[in-house]
Amino acid sequence: MIQLIFNHPLGRTVSIFSLICSIILLLAILLSPLLVPIILSFALYALLEPLSEILERQGFSRSASSLSVLLVLVCAAALAFSVLLPHLAKQLSALQTQLPSVWLSITEIGNNVSQHLLKSLGLDINSSDIAQHFFTQANEWGTTALIEGSNILISLTILLVLVPIITFFLIRDYHSFRNYMLDKLPNSNFEMGWLIYHRVAHQLQEYIRGIMIQSGIMCIMTSIGFYIIGLDSPFLLGATAGVLNLIPYIGPLLAMVLPILLALNKVPVELWLIGAAISVIVIAQLIDSMIVIPSVVANAVNLHPLIVIIGIIVFGNLFGFIGMVVATPTLATANIIYRGLYQGIKTSCDLNTEPAAEH
Amino acid sequence: MNSQHPLWQNLFRPKDDRISEVTEMWMSTPLFEKIPEKQCRELVKTMHPRHYKKAEKVFSSGEIGTSVVLIRNGGVEIKAAEKLLAELTPGDFFGEVALILDEPRTADAIATEDSELIFFLRSDLEEWVKRSPGSGAQFMLNIAIVLAARLRHTNILLSLQNS
Repeated sequence: MIQLIFNHPLGRTVSIFSLICSIILLLAILLSPLLVPIILSFALYALLEPLSEILERQGFSRSASSLSVLLVLVCAAALAFSVLLPHLAKQLSALQTQLPSVWLSITEIGNNVSQHLLKSLGLDINSSDIAQHFFTQANEWGTTALIEGSNILISLTILLVLVPIITFFLIRDYHSFRNYMLDKLPNSNFEMGWLIYHRVAHQLQEYIRGIMIQSGIMCIMTSIGFYIIGLDSPFLLGATAGVLNLIPYIGPLLAMVLPILLALNKVPVELWLIGAAISVIVIAQLIDSMIVIPSVVANAVNLHPLIVIIGIIVFGNLFGFIGMVVATPTLATANIIYRGLYQGIKTSCDLNTEPAAEH
Repeated sequence: MNSQHPLWQNLFRPKDDRISEVTEMWMSTPLFEKIPEKQCRELVKTMHPRHYKKAEKVFSSGEIGTSVVLIRNGGVEIKAAEKLLAELTPGDFFGEVALILDEPRTADAIATEDSELIFFLRSDLEEWVKRSPGSGAQFMLNIAIVLAARLRHTNILLSLQNS
């Protein structure tokens, strides 16, 4: 039975594909503490590798070009942090001081709604109980966040040290390592292996570059929008929207939460501001969908939206936020590997059965 | 410190005899005519050497082809429908159609002795064409000339057979 399944192209493809997926999943679980720095380093590698190649063509050695690119990266990051960090910290502390009044606004809205429901429909909803429950929950989240805060700081420090190191070695040694691994393939599968590798690498590189440019544009557009409508902390909100935009479909919805909460901050509540905050996100999304995605991310992934959404939920459940970000490129990669394997195995099976059919 | 000492040469200047030899071999083929040697040398660094045993199939008709192959050592015979089309020796190349067409191979290639073959993949060619469009265009023209010459040769053979 097993032999029968393995002799069929589909059965053999599914078996090999499942084996590859299992190995990758096992590696991901084993490396889960290092998953974030590894993924960030690969993203930076995809962005910086062309720059390193340019330097190499100018006569730099591989190590020298990798080091130069890394130095540029570190300097640019230091410059960006020194300019942006104080500004973001200021906005973050402003946001922190505003939070109590945001909760007050929410309670006020809750009271208004419950009074309206009592008058018009006769429904008695105890809004103070709901608000109390909400505050208790928020308090718990806040306490957890404070405990987690120190861990986050440690993780951030590890990230800042590890990412440049991993990126440097990726730029310097990735090609040699890749050649070494792919040269291990048997002669009969060598061309197919390289074909699948190049398709995956090309698509991933296009996707990473596209999505980073897209997030940058989203960040700029929403920051300007929030600044124009007069929302507090516009750059922080824009940066959040840019980062959340890395998650397809669900990210834009999550990006609306913080601006709406801040718009609720005004007492009395200014409904137009809530509408304006939502409009900024929606308009930015429209521009993104109509102009940015077709020209920057188009054809990078060719997957059904439902598969992407299910993938995001499953990966998010397994690996948290980073799982949600990497879900789409991982699914796209799996799609290419499966198709490439099937194409190669089917051709090989057809060639092997042809002489038998002739006899 | 003597920088010519073999130890230091090995550390800082890895041996590139293979690259020089393969570059020379490619440069003497019509595919790399009018292409600067420096560019060819850079390209050779991205190529893939593979070893084949005697009677081992390099590729079969109907398989997905992605590369042109140069024989560095040994020999390869090209067959179609069990008919011998060509016997190739070191310095010869085959499979160049795969650099242009994303179609299955049209003939079988079998090693006639233990051989070392150098594979130049279409994906590497595409990247090189993007980086160096001038040389890339020249390379494409060279492929067109090679394919046209082979087509002409086949036409002559067919007309001779018919007559």
